[in-house]
Amino acid sequence: MGWKKICATDDIPENSLKQFNVDGVDLMIANYGEGFKAFPPRCPHMEEPLCDSGLVFDGLLTCSKHLWQWDMKTGNMQGMAEKELLFYNIKVEGGDLLGDIDQELEYEEDEEDDDDDEVDFFSAD
Amino acid sequence: MSLNKIKIQVNARNRSHNFEAALGEKLLDAGLSNAVNLPYECGSGTCGTCKARIISGKLKNLWPEAPGNKFVKPKKGEFLMCQCSAASDVVIEVGSFVPTMEAGACVPSSMTGIVSSTKQLTSDVMSVFIELEQPLDFDAGQFMLLKFPEVEGFRGWSMVNYEQKTKTLEFVIKKKPDGILSDQLFSKNCTGQEVELFGPLGSATFYSNLTKNILCIAGGSGIAGIMSILSRAEQDGYFTQYKGYVFFGVRTALDAFFLDELSKFKESSGDNLKIVIAFSEDSDAKDLQSKYPLLDFDEGFIHEVTERYMEGKFDKIRAYIAGPTPLVNGSIGMLLKSRVSTDDIRYDKFS
Repeated sequence: MGWKKICATDDIPENSLKQFNVDGVDLMIANYGEGFKAFPPRCPHMEEPLCDSGLVFDGLLTCSKHLWQWDMKTGNMQGMAEKELLFYNIKVEGGDLLGDIDQELEYEEDEEDDDDDEVDFFSAD
Repeated sequence: MSLNKIKIQVNARNRSHNFEAALGEKLLDAGLSNAVNLPYECGSGTCGTCKARIISGKLKNLWPEAPGNKFVKPKKGEFLMCQCSAASDVVIEVGSFVPTMEAGACVPSSMTGIVSSTKQLTSDVMSVFIELEQPLDFDAGQFMLLKFPEVEGFRGWSMVNYEQKTKTLEFVIKKKPDGILSDQLFSKNCTGQEVELFGPLGSATFYSNLTKNILCIAGGSGIAGIMSILSRAEQDGYFTQYKGYVFFGVRTALDAFFLDELSKFKESSGDNLKIVIAFSEDSDAKDLQSKYPLLDFDEGFIHEVTERYMEGKFDKIRAYIAGPTPLVNGSIGMLLKSRVSTDDIRYDKFS
């Protein structure tokens, strides 16, 4: 537990996003002009990797797969989005971006049934 | 469960839907045929958008090797609705909002047709005309899933034409290296072949009550659905009131097609319609320019050419994009950067 350095604020140009790994946790950082946001690297819709599909313009993060959008300032859903984006707590200190990253944030449906039992739902014939 | 009809319940985020499916009928097709607007994009096992989760009952996986299976976790009971049929009464869950189709929507169904003729457009692109048994209503910009004999599975193609209650559908098919279908269509005479169809599908549709200028960005055979949109706009006199901008990207001058048809649209629509053909590779367009004086010719990637021409004209625009995935993604990025709202960006990624 505690604040960990993710990157220097200069590492991420305005209106772009970049993926980092902090102590084994993959996360995306977006620079939306007025600030930064940190969130898991996959879209909560279909787990599209946001390093490929994510776009940041006008303070909005858009996943180009199905145009789900989130307001980076408030975190609110926009556009076609039907699920909230999860955010890590971050702060800027002396040109560095620090994150309160203890463990990976996971979306609801990722948490259940993580055992290895096969669900047998296909008919044999 | 009666002999032939199976009860399907879909629990969506907003409500649940109940309908029946025939034995062997894909769950996506069964839902859509019952006007339940289940999520989908390609309808043919590639995109993963129709992912659902089983709650109870048994399924049959009709295509376990479907590329879209990389998006599902069978361990969690996930499967593709476009590739699975019900083997018993089933309850499934879909992680999005599922509305019923609006009154007047063209509800998809299964049908058969005959290849009535084909026409070579370039060395690797051809028009295929299919005559249906029954007339079909579809919206401009929609597509059908087609299955040709001896080719496994259905694939999506957009209609080129637009007519109400039509029995003739025109499609543009691009030759794929080593494709069985390409071999059949490009090297044999396919006239008279029976084809299975399902549709109409797709939400990148144009209606003449839109009250916005339209921007169409197409790459290669993606021009098909755009031709249908232009056809409807022309029939309804849309360009007497609103502007239309069409950007059609192909590799070289030899890969361009439908230039006669595009010139006719321009001729009947006048100054309110601008049509630009852009070549992504060095190409001498002088001959084409003198043959087609009503069209503009340019060079560059289509989304870059579009951005250049459209500067200052992105207000009150509805954009339609069709083509290979990199073109669609590049265009979406360009449109968002140009402050076009996601509500006004329409595309179907089905190829």
